Amino acid sequence: MVAGGALALLQAGAAVAFAWALAALVVGLIEGDVPGGASTIVAVMLVAASVRALTGWLWEWLGSAGAMRVKAELRDALLGRLEDRAGRRSVTTARAATLLGPGLDALDEYFGRYLPQLVLTAVATPVLVVAAWTADWVSGLILVIVLPLIPVFMALIGMATEVVQRRQWDRLQALSRGFLEVLGGLSTLMVFGRAERQSRRIRTVTDEYRSSTMKVLRVTFLSGFTLELAGSLSVALVAVSIGLRLVAGDMAFAPGLFVLILAPDVFLPIRNVGAAFHSATAGLEASREALDLLDADEPHGPVRGDRAERTDAAASGSHDPITDGLRGGLRVRDLVVLRDGQPVTAPLDLDAARGELVALTGASGSGKSSLLAAMLGFADRTGELDLDGVSLGARTRRLVAWSGQVPQLVEGTIAANIRLGSEDADPALLLHAAAVAGVDVDPGLRLGPAGAGLSGGQAQRVAVARAVHRALAIDAPLVLLDEPTSALDVDRERAMAVALRDLARSGRIVLVATHRGGLADAADRVIPIREAIRA
Amino acid sequence: MPDRSRPVLRQAVPPVRRLVPSVLLGMLAGLSSVALLASSAWLIARAAEQPPVLYLSLGVVGVRAFALGRAVFRYLERLAGHDAAFRQLAEIRVGVFERMLPLAPDGLASSRRGDLLSRFVGDVDELQNVSLRIVQPVASAVIVLAAAFAGLAWLAPGAAVAVTVVLVIGIGGAVLAQVLLAARADDRLAPLRGELQAAVVEHVQALDVLVAFGAADAGRDRIRRLGRRLERATRARASAVGLAAAAMSAVGAFAAAASLGAAQPLLEGGRIDGPTFAVLCLVPLAIAEVAAAIPVALGSLRVVRASARRVADAVPEVVPPEIPARRQGERVATSGSRSLTPAPGGRGVPAIALRGASARWPAITGDMTAPGAAGASARPALAPLDLDLVSGERVLVAGPSGSGKTTLAHVLVRFLEYGGSYRIGGVEARDLDPRDVRRTVGLVEQRPWLFDEDLRQNLVFARDTATDAELLDVLERVGLAEWAAARGGLDARVGERGALVSGGQAQRIALARAMLADFPVLVLDEPTASVDPAQADELLTDLLAAAGDRSVVLISHTGAPTGLVDRAVALGAEEIGPAGSVDEDSVRIAHGRCGERGTP
Repeated sequence: MVAGGALALLQAGAAVAFAWALAALVVGLIEGDVPGGASTIVAVMLVAASVRALTGWLWEWLGSAGAMRVKAELRDALLGRLEDRAGRRSVTTARAATLLGPGLDALDEYFGRYLPQLVLTAVATPVLVVAAWTADWVSGLILVIVLPLIPVFMALIGMATEVVQRRQWDRLQALSRGFLEVLGGLSTLMVFGRAERQSRRIRTVTDEYRSSTMKVLRVTFLSGFTLELAGSLSVALVAVSIGLRLVAGDMAFAPGLFVLILAPDVFLPIRNVGAAFHSATAGLEASREALDLLDADEPHGPVRGDRAERTDAAASGSHDPITDGLRGGLRVRDLVVLRDGQPVTAPLDLDAARGELVALTGASGSGKSSLLAAMLGFADRTGELDLDGVSLGARTRRLVAWSGQVPQLVEGTIAANIRLGSEDADPALLLHAAAVAGVDVDPGLRLGPAGAGLSGGQAQRVAVARAVHRALAIDAPLVLLDEPTSALDVDRERAMAVALRDLARSGRIVLVATHRGGLADAADRVIPIREAIRA
Repeated sequence: MPDRSRPVLRQAVPPVRRLVPSVLLGMLAGLSSVALLASSAWLIARAAEQPPVLYLSLGVVGVRAFALGRAVFRYLERLAGHDAAFRQLAEIRVGVFERMLPLAPDGLASSRRGDLLSRFVGDVDELQNVSLRIVQPVASAVIVLAAAFAGLAWLAPGAAVAVTVVLVIGIGGAVLAQVLLAARADDRLAPLRGELQAAVVEHVQALDVLVAFGAADAGRDRIRRLGRRLERATRARASAVGLAAAAMSAVGAFAAAASLGAAQPLLEGGRIDGPTFAVLCLVPLAIAEVAAAIPVALGSLRVVRASARRVADAVPEVVPPEIPARRQGERVATSGSRSLTPAPGGRGVPAIALRGASARWPAITGDMTAPGAAGASARPALAPLDLDLVSGERVLVAGPSGSGKTTLAHVLVRFLEYGGSYRIGGVEARDLDPRDVRRTVGLVEQRPWLFDEDLRQNLVFARDTATDAELLDVLERVGLAEWAAARGGLDARVGERGALVSGGQAQRIALARAMLADFPVLVLDEPTASVDPAQADELLTDLLAAAGDRSVVLISHTGAPTGLVDRAVALGAEEIGPAGSVDEDSVRIAHGRCGERGTP
């Protein structure tokens, strides 16, 4: 910051020196007498111009470096925040992508240009005004009167644009979402012969975006107009006033010309601020949503403590109060799962000992998945939910292996997907897990983004293998599987049921949510889940 | 590889009638700027000679007029320019989408959603700069520079030449600085942004699993690393752009010095007067300011070209052979014999006949996937198959997963090209427009897409004339009436990708849509995969009852209750020989097995 201030001072000084040198040269040559010799003054002029250019460059570089730093920090904080809210589906993928992409890029202008220019203006403008005042106080006075008007006008215009800009950002969001929907639902649209008409929809959305943007610009460009007008009119005022006083013989030629050359420079920094202002505020609007997300209420329960605790546990070696001993297994009392504060399951009591395979059954939508989510700390709950005397939640995810209804595979090989989070485990476990889940594709096969390249059933089996692998690799006492057999035929379902029972017998509690009879038949116990009764 | 960015760039340039106003306004703004400095320099220098005030009045008026003109023209130029530029973006977006259609859906299967989004929104937006920062300012600047050069040459030819030489050197230097320093950064910038976006989407879409498996840190590290690379590229570009700007700001001073040097002999020789000399010395400053638009434009050109290339490459140029080609024109002009309507057989349900029909999935290549990613598709191919479906028949297609059941479904609705023969009502499907086939053969997908809208919007697009009563009726038929009523009726939201409904409900909504569309032939791809067995049987019964005398191909690995289907066909790599026909025995066996499975 101090270096920045010094740079700004240097830049202003160079501008003054340049104006003085050029004025002195022109006046001296016209009047036939250059004090100090023409070549010296030319040298001063060129050096001053070069210094000014170089400081400008350095200033730009500093600003952009600062912006990058801020952006990296924000991106990291946002990702952390999204992780805290995992399982709550509060932020859609498309929104997260816009937020972390264009949303943060829009901050470049604010931190990289607007703020540095603001500092530059604050430092350089007074220096330039004082220089002009010293040469000719009347011109100085004109500048002093006109300059403060600019921020006032800009503030007024800024207030007027804020609302429209917010609406504008919403529209950009709608544009992204609309396209993702069209893209994702393309096969559905084609089945119904509706794909072609989406062109019209895209044209309409883009065109609406244009006309609303133009409405915003008509107002925001006004601030540019004000700046431009203030700048050029002050130059005109100064020039005319100097001209009239020169004619009257009230002032000398040299200071007059000096002020004329300097006047545009006085307005240059604040003009740059104005130029950055429009895009910078658009950026602020984009980032407001990101900042809102950062400021939003912490989700219920312990949130980010899990990381610190894990290192503690690792440091204390094998002695871990949580996993030591077999104190009672899973104990559930009056458990009600909440979504957005509303109960979605009827109160549940359940006890399960290690070695048991328990099936949770119930109609689709009855809350089986929500129960599993609560055990992972992905959903809020009331009531007791203890494993070996330790309350289950976000902190205890390292005791749990899980596979959800949506496979959520990632780009990479199938082996890498199965070994997710336990990359150092014994390679034999990989084959074992794949066999349990009935994965029949080559583990070396590379999947595309979001696990593309597998059929729905294959993807689901890989997801189950991933959970089984984790259970074995970290010796997780609790295994949660959501509909692990929905993509299997009866023979394979039977095989998996046997394998899951073996998994439980090796000292684990295996909970499966299922609506298929085969798996429920193989379970030691079947617990029906009921939906919360809505008031 | 030919540069595919060119047509996109051309498309981004507004038509002449929209471009001219902004170029003219830009020119007027630039001329006003130069004239303001010239007239005020002249005014002061002339005033210093203390002539009668009357002689100055022209200068005074000029100074005020040019000051006002500069601001007004600039404002109007920006409005006209932006409007013209934005209008082109709509064209480009629609163009990208329309190039996508012939490939969709199976030719686009592994596109990165995030990357495609960044191309469609960010990169297309970037193209507004083709006209805003390149074509229009350069055109305006060139006109202003030519006029300024003419003016200078009229006053002092030597000064004009001197200023031109300095400007050319300065602009050349600025451009060179950009080329040497920024070119690489610029080329990397847009792809890096896309990569970062893709990494974010990949991370967020699997976030639950990554968090549950304690693997989120690795993804974050990757995003952080990409962010740092993007940072370096952005900084390199900023410093190059700054260097060019610095060069241009210094050029003004050097041009003024050059002009001064060239004009000084004329002043001494008395061939020009003092005010003219002052104008010659000061005007180069304003000229350099106008000229600064040129290196900026060249800098933008590289960024814009990278974006144009990404927009162009968003969709593969060649439709792979596995994707059926559309028949242009024939769809509207159905006068030829290759039409499905009216279908033979009276009732309008054409018979389906497959003979040795086989299919495979295209390998998705090209720019849309990262090198090495998703190269080989693991999706199962369909081995040559014979299948007959007479009017109104219901056939169960069973088989283990991986036997090509979904592939068959995609062949039937012509998402995938086939080998062998596939006749609909006696007409070879290959000779029909795929869109016409899809009007006859409908598909309920395994994972139906629900739009992030309300229930009504998710249904009504299947038949846009449907009334609310009809929609509620069809919901009743798929067993969703009660559920919908509890959720607030047709206004109930379904969430992003149906996040607010369960898998079974999503299937039912998709079935409701298919019923609304009233396809004569219906392909159901695993409709009961995520529905309770009891409800599954009920649903299938409801569905097949609703289907009436339509033909139904029911694809399922779990089978169907006895009596629901007329026949069963088993798919499977082992069971289906090269000939691919399923003889009577195997059908009976398959049928029997299905019956067994259906009754728990």
